[in-house]
Amino acid sequence: MHHHLSTHSFRASHALVKIDARVKLLSALALLVMVITSQGSAFPLVVAAAGIFFCLHLGTPVRLLALRFSEPIFIAVVVLLLKTFFSGNAPLFSFGLLGYELVAHRDGLDAGLLIAGRILGGVTLLGVVGFSTPFTELMAALSWMRVPQVLVDVALFAWRYLFLLLEDAQVVYHAQKNRLGYVGCRRALASFGTLAGVMVIKAFDNSQSITTAMVQRGYDGVMPMSMHRPLRVAEVGSALLFVGAMAVIRLI
Amino acid sequence: MGEAASFVNAGTLPHPPAPSRKGRGSAWVSVLLVGALFDFLAATPAFAMHISEGILPFSWALVWYLVLVPFLALGARRLNALAREDLSLKPLVGLLTAVVFIISCMPIPVPTAGTCSHPCGTGVSAILVGPLVSVVVAAVSLLIQALFLAHGGLSTLGANTLSMGVIGSFSAWFTFRALRRMGGSLGVAGFFAGIVADWATYSATSLFLALGIRGDAPLWPLFTKVVVAFLPTQLPLGILEGVITAGMVTLLYRKRPDLLVRMRVISEKEGSVNA
Repeated sequence: MHHHLSTHSFRASHALVKIDARVKLLSALALLVMVITSQGSAFPLVVAAAGIFFCLHLGTPVRLLALRFSEPIFIAVVVLLLKTFFSGNAPLFSFGLLGYELVAHRDGLDAGLLIAGRILGGVTLLGVVGFSTPFTELMAALSWMRVPQVLVDVALFAWRYLFLLLEDAQVVYHAQKNRLGYVGCRRALASFGTLAGVMVIKAFDNSQSITTAMVQRGYDGVMPMSMHRPLRVAEVGSALLFVGAMAVIRLI
Repeated sequence: MGEAASFVNAGTLPHPPAPSRKGRGSAWVSVLLVGALFDFLAATPAFAMHISEGILPFSWALVWYLVLVPFLALGARRLNALAREDLSLKPLVGLLTAVVFIISCMPIPVPTAGTCSHPCGTGVSAILVGPLVSVVVAAVSLLIQALFLAHGGLSTLGANTLSMGVIGSFSAWFTFRALRRMGGSLGVAGFFAGIVADWATYSATSLFLALGIRGDAPLWPLFTKVVVAFLPTQLPLGILEGVITAGMVTLLYRKRPDLLVRMRVISEKEGSVNA
């Protein structure tokens, strides 16, 4: 879980990691709009390929990458198959399966590739941002983009204590399991309800102790954000060039 | 996510008696055949509970963001107002967000839709912190999932938050309050609030999907297909969510009624009876 949610870069010296989070986020958003509004499947697939390349170049382990993208890839494949075989009018090829004749359609395949490409392009873009940017920097960038401070504060608290709660939940779960808490449907449901309740109680108790500790350190209701260094002309320029180049590729 | 998924799945599913190899094989064939049949009947693209990145056209993604904005603004305002009175409220909402995040990360396979489904967790947060603050909880939880788990997405964050955070939270809260006013116990009210939150969320998600992907096709037949594709898992999952919500509320009442009093879920009189 910790590894799967990990946001730290696996190659801290990578050029992408050094780029300001604001520049990365804005560039990713611009590319995301291009991907979603694309009418052809080639551009989203190019973005997806580039995204996977950058993720690997960042030093992200292949296993982690596969875990992270398994759900969207699965959805994209299912969409592609369903669109190819169950929509469209122009037959491409056909074959028999369990007594049924399945007909693939060219227009269905095109539509499926477009949606699959958009899914893959979108998630790999977010993957690059996630793998190359620490969570706190992303939140600071969102704060700079005028996302309400209360949302950023809640996100920071949630992220900080997510792993703590997970560990607590695992301890309780294993304790329940060792005492046959998950034998039989009724007991399993009761145990699971208790587990959820325990997590909420821990959340309440932790929030009290956290607040006490934070007030002692000067917390007055507003979380301090990390300071942004001034944007460098070189990184803004190169980001503009990159996004511009992608826009040209999209037009082609 | 793997560890969490494994302990959660193992937790929700009782150990079945080990079937024979032949029985296991025929069961798998049945599941596959039923799944294939539903897919054939539904013939719609399959999506996870969170609408995946890139599924919705840009125009619909924008519409759902615009619909969400007032709810999110009201939620942020409400949370700010409460946090001014009680400094521990923001950390508490943050931790509840983490709980909702964990609950809504429990994948349950949907063979008929070719994807995974999961509980929402917003019923719990709506009961405890109210529906407006619960919108904030859902938005943040979904944002983290989109950025770091590739569940949902940034372009579909508006639609996902609207279905899970707004529709799920408000339906749960109204159900809970209505049943409590009618004299229902905490467990019963929590159970139905959990069920309604889950089913309302999935209905909304199905509607948003149907609206987004229908093209020139008529809306309602497509909406029905999407609902039917999710039905085999959503019916039991809603009940499971109801059980979780009821279990959580009753546990809080038994062990820590002061917390329910503090969150104004029960009156001080009720809390002191159990204390």
